[in-house]
Amino acid sequence: MKGRYEDENLTWIPLLIVGIFLLPFMLKGITYSYKYYLFVLNMVGIYIILTVGLDLLSGYTGLISLGHSAFLAIGAYTSAILVDQVGIPFILSLVISPLIVGIFGFLIGFPALRITGMYLGLTTMGFGFIVKRLIIALRVWTKGAGGLEVSPPVIFGFTFNSDWDNYFLIFTCAIIAVVVGRRIGKSKIGRALMAIRDSEQAAEATGVHLAKYKMLAFFISGLFAGFAGALFAHTNHFISTDHFDIILSIYFIIMILVGGVSSIYGAVLGTLFIVLLDYLFVPELKDLIHGVFNIEGGDIQSLLFGLIMFLFIIFQPTGLYGMWIKMKIYWKLFPFNPKKRLI
Amino acid sequence: MKKATGLFILTGLLVMGCGNRASAPGVSEDKILIGNVQDLSGPMKELGAVLPAGSNLYFRYVNENGGVHGRQIEMKVEDHQYNPQKAVAAAKKLIEKDQVFCLYQVIGTSPCEAIRPILAESGTPLVAPATQSGSMSDMSREAAGLIFHTDTGYDKQTRILVDNILADDVNAKIGLIYQDDDYGENVLKGAAVAESSTGAAIQKEAYQRGATDFAGQVANLMKGGATHVIIAGVVKEPIIVMKTAAAMGYAPKFYGTSPTMDHRVSLAAGPAGEGFTSANFASLWNSDAEAAVLYRELCTKYEVPEAYMGMYHFYGFITAQVLVEGLERAGQYPTRERLVNGLETLNNWDGGAFPPITYSQTDHAGTESVILVEVKDGVQTVITDWID
Repeated sequence: MKGRYEDENLTWIPLLIVGIFLLPFMLKGITYSYKYYLFVLNMVGIYIILTVGLDLLSGYTGLISLGHSAFLAIGAYTSAILVDQVGIPFILSLVISPLIVGIFGFLIGFPALRITGMYLGLTTMGFGFIVKRLIIALRVWTKGAGGLEVSPPVIFGFTFNSDWDNYFLIFTCAIIAVVVGRRIGKSKIGRALMAIRDSEQAAEATGVHLAKYKMLAFFISGLFAGFAGALFAHTNHFISTDHFDIILSIYFIIMILVGGVSSIYGAVLGTLFIVLLDYLFVPELKDLIHGVFNIEGGDIQSLLFGLIMFLFIIFQPTGLYGMWIKMKIYWKLFPFNPKKRLI
Repeated sequence: MKKATGLFILTGLLVMGCGNRASAPGVSEDKILIGNVQDLSGPMKELGAVLPAGSNLYFRYVNENGGVHGRQIEMKVEDHQYNPQKAVAAAKKLIEKDQVFCLYQVIGTSPCEAIRPILAESGTPLVAPATQSGSMSDMSREAAGLIFHTDTGYDKQTRILVDNILADDVNAKIGLIYQDDDYGENVLKGAAVAESSTGAAIQKEAYQRGATDFAGQVANLMKGGATHVIIAGVVKEPIIVMKTAAAMGYAPKFYGTSPTMDHRVSLAAGPAGEGFTSANFASLWNSDAEAAVLYRELCTKYEVPEAYMGMYHFYGFITAQVLVEGLERAGQYPTRERLVNGLETLNNWDGGAFPPITYSQTDHAGTESVILVEVKDGVQTVITDWID
């Protein structure tokens, strides 16, 4: 019997992991503003954890969620309250917070048993609005809309106080999330989720319990979002309702679309692409953009994201990861590849 | 021996001299680079364009008059779209990459709160954050020693308004319409203080940022019998609230916190806005105050578009005065620490617009008082002296 990853070349994975952990040292060596780049990369890492979970839900299972910024918020506030107000250790909160968000995900999964597509998207978006109001209403714990100061992560007595420290924590967690995400994707659960996405009737006919797996998809996605939320709160030191705007949920969907749905590596690539575009390239180009079009960088950012999503859906529905796979096949067959366009 | 002593003294003087010339990020022989984070493309982008323009007006005037200790002031503005996470990224970029000397006028409470850890980590001062939240001058908070607030907090403004209403009418039933965000949170804090000190019960109605329909809130206040209503909004909110109330035949006396003091409120509200009284922490831009006169002169001189002129443009202008005063006091060879020390020497400093500003090591609130401005025959008229 073939192993789970037998048909994949995994030799580059250890090299990539070493590269990830060497990156801060390289950045420190080449630029004095490495802390700024590390901050942006930390955000990439946190969002990767979330989008891996979102991909399992929306990519693998085909259940659209526009409520993932709310899941992130619940994870962040839960962990902040557990650590700073209840007094449990951060490392324990990294387990409890995702479980709590997973339960929320499970509950939100109920409507998914009856509705799909746009209606499910709107339902999850409504959940986002409810969470925001709840955070404001529960001001005794959350400090309302004024925002909540959060302590830095402490693990076995070591305090992660800077972007440098946070990088190693976040990317360790992100690598774990990617590995777990891929294992789920390649497991019986992953195959059941994909079967549901392709045809609910066919899946049910082959013995897939629709209700069980749909709820499980929401639960798993909630776990990932909760994990990301806990890291988000403690590495940012401050959270407020403004951090978890509904637009963030849309960005998460764009990330997995651009990366390539139903592919964990795609979620990673899409997140990296969108966050770097949003936080590094648009601010760098804003003066140029402002000079040419007489509009602000932030305005063109929405336009740019819309355009990217539009172009990817039409011309490259398999996303960046699909593009990479096609390129690999092209070079493998070269020079005997059929006369077809590259991408 | 004499030679050795001379050499020793010379070396000592050189070391002392070098120590005094300790260079700081953003400071060169002829330039000081300041960082500003505004909302240029988010929900408050109308202010994001105007505030830095007002500051640049004053910087241009200072630069043309020789700058600060011979250095020209240059301001770099980043966009945070009113997103705290983007504010952190923008502040990091300004501090780590662009190497600004200090941050100035960062807009919004949650963006300012979010950047506290970066201020503390880098030791970068934030002068005149563009928010009237009282939390900015809470000295128990992180990086409080680096933040110099100029404005009277929303909490104090609310308390002053409640006190003023009750002084006029002891039987007043007070209502409050507040934005359900960090701004409103600070207003509620002031309302709670006022309730406990006066015994008054304030009817509170929340609205979401960006709301354009206030019929529900107005109907609730009408039902609750509020005779005096405080609107903690910005520009469009008081206009819509007062027009909605007029359309419903409800005529309480309306009050507003400082962001509602914009002259467009009285222009757009028309007869419904007659008598609207707002609190403000600085003299009016079209008043005879020293800074206002200079402001109008410079607007004419530099041909500032009329659409820019007004409360928020003037706010950018007068906070720039505070920053420049701090830079002057930081001395010929400014460091971030010297800027902090310089600002902390401000003692009843009168820039001609704010009430006298005093900072110390234990107090960075700046101002504690407001004037009340009433719309009379469609014209904003100052009706009180500075009150606190």
